[in-house]
Amino acid sequence: MKRAVVFAVIALAACNRQPAEAPKEAPRQAESPKGGPPPIPPYQMREEQPGGDRLASGRDGKAVFEHQCGACHMAGGMGTNLLTVQRIKAGETPDKGMLTNRTDLTPEYVKQVVRVGKNAMPPQTKVDLTDAELESVAAYLGKAK
Amino acid sequence: MKLITPPRISPQAFETALSALSGVVGKDWVMSTDADRDAYADAYAPGSQEQWPAGAAVAPANVEEVQAVVRLANEHKTPLWPVARGKNLGYGTAAPRMAGSIVLDLGRMNKVLELDPKLAYCVVEPGVSFFDLYEHIQREKSPLWMSVPGNAWGSVLGNALDHGMGYTPYGQHAKNLCGIEAVLPSGELVRTGMGAMDGNHSWHLFPLSYGPDWTQMFTQSNLGVVTKAGVWLQPAPETNLLLTWDIPNEEDIGWVIDTVTPLKLAGVIDQNVFIPSWLGKIVLKGQRKDFWDKDSAMPEWRVQELLKEHKLGYWQVQIRLYGDEGVNKAKAEVIKAAFKRKLDAAPQEVWWRTGDPVNQYDPTMGVPSAVALQMGDWVGGRGAHMGFSPVVPATSEHVLGQLKRSRQVIADHDVDFYASFTIGGRFATNINMLMFDRDKPAQIDNMKKLFNALIDTTAKAGYGEYRTHIGWMDAVNDTYNFNNQAQRRLNETLKNAIDPNGILAPGKQGVWPSAYRDSAREGRA
Repeated sequence: MKRAVVFAVIALAACNRQPAEAPKEAPRQAESPKGGPPPIPPYQMREEQPGGDRLASGRDGKAVFEHQCGACHMAGGMGTNLLTVQRIKAGETPDKGMLTNRTDLTPEYVKQVVRVGKNAMPPQTKVDLTDAELESVAAYLGKAK
Repeated sequence: MKLITPPRISPQAFETALSALSGVVGKDWVMSTDADRDAYADAYAPGSQEQWPAGAAVAPANVEEVQAVVRLANEHKTPLWPVARGKNLGYGTAAPRMAGSIVLDLGRMNKVLELDPKLAYCVVEPGVSFFDLYEHIQREKSPLWMSVPGNAWGSVLGNALDHGMGYTPYGQHAKNLCGIEAVLPSGELVRTGMGAMDGNHSWHLFPLSYGPDWTQMFTQSNLGVVTKAGVWLQPAPETNLLLTWDIPNEEDIGWVIDTVTPLKLAGVIDQNVFIPSWLGKIVLKGQRKDFWDKDSAMPEWRVQELLKEHKLGYWQVQIRLYGDEGVNKAKAEVIKAAFKRKLDAAPQEVWWRTGDPVNQYDPTMGVPSAVALQMGDWVGGRGAHMGFSPVVPATSEHVLGQLKRSRQVIADHDVDFYASFTIGGRFATNINMLMFDRDKPAQIDNMKKLFNALIDTTAKAGYGEYRTHIGWMDAVNDTYNFNNQAQRRLNETLKNAIDPNGILAPGKQGVWPSAYRDSAREGRA
């Protein structure tokens, strides 16, 4: 497990970091030298904000999640990075840093964290996510019933 | 958070005003529960989140609704605190300077109205985030690049209007604004620059007005609500080349500045050059307690140990050249020769060419990211940060003087020292990052004392901050003291003339309308 923590921490450290010695042929951006940190995931395009009435129920939970939460909670995002370290420390696998891979979140817990915030995450307003949008996101992420 | 109303407004009168606002935007977009007020508090506040309480928030969908909301605010004497997306983290987020103000949240106005690949500009509404604009450009396959700040979760316009900075050749964001549409405190709509003429084709291209130009008057200002603006973008460069040097010693920043500034002024270097100190790299490797487990500031011997252990220089200089490959090669030779005169080690060179993958964490590539905020995790717990940000002339004399001065003040308060300099041209901004745990009152108290001491000492030496947290807006304004604060008095003369009821962002940047002058005493951190 310790190795997994170190691995994840190195993955985070890959931000803006270059190999210590320049190889003869300089690598292009986002490639990694042998034995170096794993490559940084490419930028993740979010889904567009779904059209229609943001106050109406039955919003597309996946699309709303990506659009409103994706800046931090998609692969390589700040929230994902911090949660990856946290989940590993809790004895879980690194993929659980992605909220979409979690099976232990309840819809109620998702709603609570979104509205109240947690650790580095500030609370989200109703302009960030309407109550209807939050219901859809909570249903999408909240796989534990 | 319980309801706090604006000065001289009873809860009943406040409720009447909110009902009137509901008539404009719909009841769902007037947010006034205790939980809503919490959501608009400064989540990263040094101390209690209740220091800068909003009375409510209102979210219009378009410019007509903004006008109607502003007119109602005049009628009911309920001041508004406009925010673009309210993500000004470290500077107050969405929280208002004056207690009880209604946050005017423009987040619903999030359309990219125009994107012109030929003349490289866009026209956006205030709710458009850096992520939104980036993805719009990608979907349109438009050959344009943006400049992004460290935290790109926020608004493109909000950041530019608050004088935010990025790290590309378009890094001085307020200078990218060209042609603004704003709602004045009376509710009237005005357009700056060539937009003053109906249907003018050059509105977002010509950077001046016929007569005095008001574009910059709406930045860091409480004179109007910006509802859209033109923003210049960078034509996508065919290639770019990143040169990286690790700079061994703290005092080396002097020659680094004297080497980079002339190259920047001569146009060899186009970008804003960001020079972070070692801590910027260490924060990505773990938390503070992993490297130093005492509350006291990390001593110099431990810093030196860590630099050795992690093979880091005290500073890291990265210069990215953008554009044609041949031109980049030629420029690189000039820059390398200039560095060679001071440092034997050759830089690491990394080329990027169109079609290559892009490092999503590198703000010099114009890709939005929020990972810079991971720094907040350094101190553990509910980590937060504040930046002390004076502007200094970009010469070794001034930079070393500032470094020594702020280092001493920070050491006197037993706090870790983390400075960075960004060379923007003839000036450098010096960001001193102060990180704290929001649940440690003694630490917060010490940070506040430190912040006040930094403002005071730095101003006495002849330097001012370019931007600050709401709790220090008055303290920083006080330092701009030429001729008995002539600038603030001019701002307030204008403010009173065009906003007699003082309903737009009273206290923003320390500029108070007469109607609320008394409130200037409150809410100082």
